[in-house]
Amino acid sequence: MSIRKDNDAHERARKLIVLGRSDELSVADERSSDERSTNAWLAAHLESCASCRVFAENAAETIRGLRAIPIAAERSLVSMTQMRVRQRALELQLQRERMWLVAISCTAVTFCGLLSTIALWRGFAWLGERAQLAPSVWQVGFLIFCVTPALVAGVLLLASGTHFDRHFDTNLADQIGSYRG
Amino acid sequence: MTEESTEIARGLRRRDPDLLDRLIEQYQHRLLRYLVYLTGRRELAEDLFQETWIRVLERGHQFNDKYTFSTWLFAVARNLAIDHMRRRQPASLDGLLNGGETSFDVPATGQASAFDTTLQHEQNEHISAGMQHLPAEYREALVLRFQEGMSLEEIASVANVPLGTVKSRIYRGLSALEPWLKGASL
Repeated sequence: MSIRKDNDAHERARKLIVLGRSDELSVADERSSDERSTNAWLAAHLESCASCRVFAENAAETIRGLRAIPIAAERSLVSMTQMRVRQRALELQLQRERMWLVAISCTAVTFCGLLSTIALWRGFAWLGERAQLAPSVWQVGFLIFCVTPALVAGVLLLASGTHFDRHFDTNLADQIGSYRG
Repeated sequence: MTEESTEIARGLRRRDPDLLDRLIEQYQHRLLRYLVYLTGRRELAEDLFQETWIRVLERGHQFNDKYTFSTWLFAVARNLAIDHMRRRQPASLDGLLNGGETSFDVPATGQASAFDTTLQHEQNEHISAGMQHLPAEYREALVLRFQEGMSLEEIASVANVPLGTVKSRIYRGLSALEPWLKGASL
C-alpha cells in the first residue's frame, strides 16, 4: 500500500515537473489556492526524493536543449513562398472574375431564352390561328422547332466523333504497322 | 490578441497578399521548425511550408478569430503533412517516422555555425538524435509545448486530440528523451 502511494507521489511530481502546475490543474478557479499548496508539495517532495530531483534537473536541461536547437527558414524559401502565394492569389482573383462573367452570362442567357420562348409561343399561336389549325398542331410544331437545333447539333457531334474515332484507328493501325514492319 | 486575430481574419477573407507576406515573414521559423520536427525531413518540410501558405490563402475564410492564428496555422500544416503521408502510404502520423527512408536532418543547413559551444553542440545533437527515435506524435507535442510555448489546450486543438492525450504525449516524450540527454545511444 505504502509502495503504491510512493509511486503515485513520484508520478504526480514528475507530471507536475513536465506539464507545469498551472496546466496540471484543470479548473481555473482552483488555481490560486491549489497552486500554492501544489507548489509547496512539489518543493517538499523534491527535497526528500533524489530521483525526482534528478528527473527535474534532466527535464529542465532537455527543455533547454530543445529550445536551443536552431532551425531557421532560409531567405530563398520565404521569397519563393511569398511569390507562389501572390501568384496563386492572382489566379484565384482571375478565377473569381471569370466566375462572375459566367454567372452574368448564364443569367442573361436564361432571361433571353425566357423572352424568346414567350415570343415564339405567341408567334406560333398567331400563325396557328391564321392558318386555322387546332392548338395541338401548332403546339407540336413549336416543340419540334425548339428541339430540332439540339437534335441536329447532337447528330453532328456524334458523326464527327465517329469520324474522329475512325481517323484515330487508321493512325493507330498505321503506327502498329510501322512498328511491325 | 483577439483584435489581432480579427484583423488577420478580415485580411484572409479579402485574400490580402500584403497581409500574407507579413504573416509568412512572422511565422517562417516557427512553422518550418514545426514541420521539420513533424516530418523528420527538411526537404519535405520546406515543400509543406509552401503548401501550407497556399492553403492559408485558399482557406483563409475558414479561420475563426476566436482562436490564435498560430494554432490554426499549425493545424493546417499538420493536416497537409498527414494528407501527404496518406498519399504516399496509407498510414497514420506514425508513418512519418517509420517510412524507412526517413533521415532526421534537424540542424538547419547554413545554421551549423550556431553550435559554437562544444557542450551545447553535443547536447543538441543528442536531443536531436533522441527526437529521431520518438514517435511523431510525441515530437509534435514536445515542439509545440517547449519550442512554440503553446498551452496544452492549444496543442489539443492543433493535434485534434483530448487534453489528457496531449499531457501524456508530453510526459512520455520528455521521459523518453531523458536518456538521450546524457548521450545514450539507444
